[in-house]
Amino acid sequence: MSLIRYVDIHKAFDQPVLTGVDLAVEEGEMFGIFGPSGTGKSVLLKSTIGLLELDRGNVIVEGDPVYGGPRGTVQRVRRKVGYVFQNAALFDSLNVWENVEMGIPEEEVQKLSRRERTRKIWDSLELVNLRPQEVLTKLPSELSGGMRKRVGIARAIVGRPRILLWDEPTTGLDPVNTAAVERLIERLSGELRVTSIIVTHDIEGGLQMCGRVAMLHSGVLRFCGTPEAFLASEDPLVRAFSDRSAAQAALDEVEVT
Amino acid sequence: MASRSPSSSLPRVIAGPLAAVGKTGEQVAEHAGQLGLLLGRTARAIFTLKVSLQSVFRQVYIMGVQSLPIVIVAALLAGIVTSQQGGYQFQGSVPLYVLGSVVTSSVVLELGPVLTAIVLVGRVGARITAELGTMKVSEQIDAFEALGRDPIAILAAPRILAGIITVPILVAIANVVGILAGMVAARITVGLGYEAFLYGARLFWHNWDLLYSLMKAVTFGFAIPVISIHMGMRTSGGAAGVGRITTASVMFMTLTVLILDALFPPLFLQ
Repeated sequence: MSLIRYVDIHKAFDQPVLTGVDLAVEEGEMFGIFGPSGTGKSVLLKSTIGLLELDRGNVIVEGDPVYGGPRGTVQRVRRKVGYVFQNAALFDSLNVWENVEMGIPEEEVQKLSRRERTRKIWDSLELVNLRPQEVLTKLPSELSGGMRKRVGIARAIVGRPRILLWDEPTTGLDPVNTAAVERLIERLSGELRVTSIIVTHDIEGGLQMCGRVAMLHSGVLRFCGTPEAFLASEDPLVRAFSDRSAAQAALDEVEVT
Repeated sequence: MASRSPSSSLPRVIAGPLAAVGKTGEQVAEHAGQLGLLLGRTARAIFTLKVSLQSVFRQVYIMGVQSLPIVIVAALLAGIVTSQQGGYQFQGSVPLYVLGSVVTSSVVLELGPVLTAIVLVGRVGARITAELGTMKVSEQIDAFEALGRDPIAILAAPRILAGIITVPILVAIANVVGILAGMVAARITVGLGYEAFLYGARLFWHNWDLLYSLMKAVTFGFAIPVISIHMGMRTSGGAAGVGRITTASVMFMTLTVLILDALFPPLFLQ
């Protein structure tokens, strides 16, 4: 049985964003979701943990329905999932220690001593290649974009989730930081043995990291398969998207050199 | 044969206003539903003891202690102006000690609670809407949910509790300051002694007036954070959206304070 199943997902705001999306993600898989801006990638990711109401359809995580399930189901699903937000979404008024502590489930926080919590926070920050002694007491406004992103990742992994959802983890980062975050995603997925779903514009990085990828276009699932099949696809929309992304990547490299 | 929608058979002169009424009705129902949910979730957070006392005290400090100077200045000026205008009107026609009653009643029944509330709409309500609106558009509120935390217990409940605790205290201080300022102004401008002022104040005083003033304060102290939180949490559209919603929130809160104020006399002063 698939670990996560998206069943007939429909969502519209002023106009349709997702229309009848069906997807299945297997345990231990690293799954990429591509697509132009505004095609509902982030909406699909948010629906995994019930962050927005769907017009129709459901998401099933390890057999638990996220929508319309018994009381407490969504909370149970959320405890299994770490969510890395596009712009880190760190809490402005809390320092790094307090931000990462928020990632430890509430019940666990009450059982652990402050020393034990600090140990967990410290380990998570080290896992994302940050020096805890230098950042623990800093506010998010005192960190660089790349560091904020890493703190966001540390917050997502500190509760040791089984599933990691990455919403455009490299958006807004320079090429050096993009490569570093991609290496980090691969390493964490391996070390923590989590199932990852990555929404990204970075087609090159996504194809390298993921075992399977999907492409959304105008809210409809246009492709789902291996990276090799994606590159070999004859679908004109898939080809147009991958060619444009490749051209952008080449342009980025020229700008760096 | 192609079907015609009901609106297509209506002249535009009628269809346009009807559509506008329908849209407004839909928006009002949406606001009411969301406000109901916010209040329900806040009550649940309070009764299940999920609200941090530390957060409540922090909000009491922000709303109360930090607002004190501006509340005192507003009350001071209100007391002085009422006293001066009353003195000007009464000279030569009404015994001047009546001024004590006019100033006291005006400040306690009306100016103390309403001016304090209007000051807090600008100082506290706008701040809450802008703060939560920014958190909403930067996905911080989603992040609380994703981390299994209840944003209502963390963000909304402490602010609402702090409003209910703080505003009556601020109104009580504003009442005292306004009356004292009126008393001093009456002595300076029309030469009314303190004893005569207090005699007039006591002559027409009802203990109920004080309770009425504090009831207004509790109502405003509840309404201002509830509306500002509600508006902040429905923000969308980035920085421009935060600006738009903060303006709308200030208008909405000001109108609510004035409407609630107008409802008080027929309900409680009969």
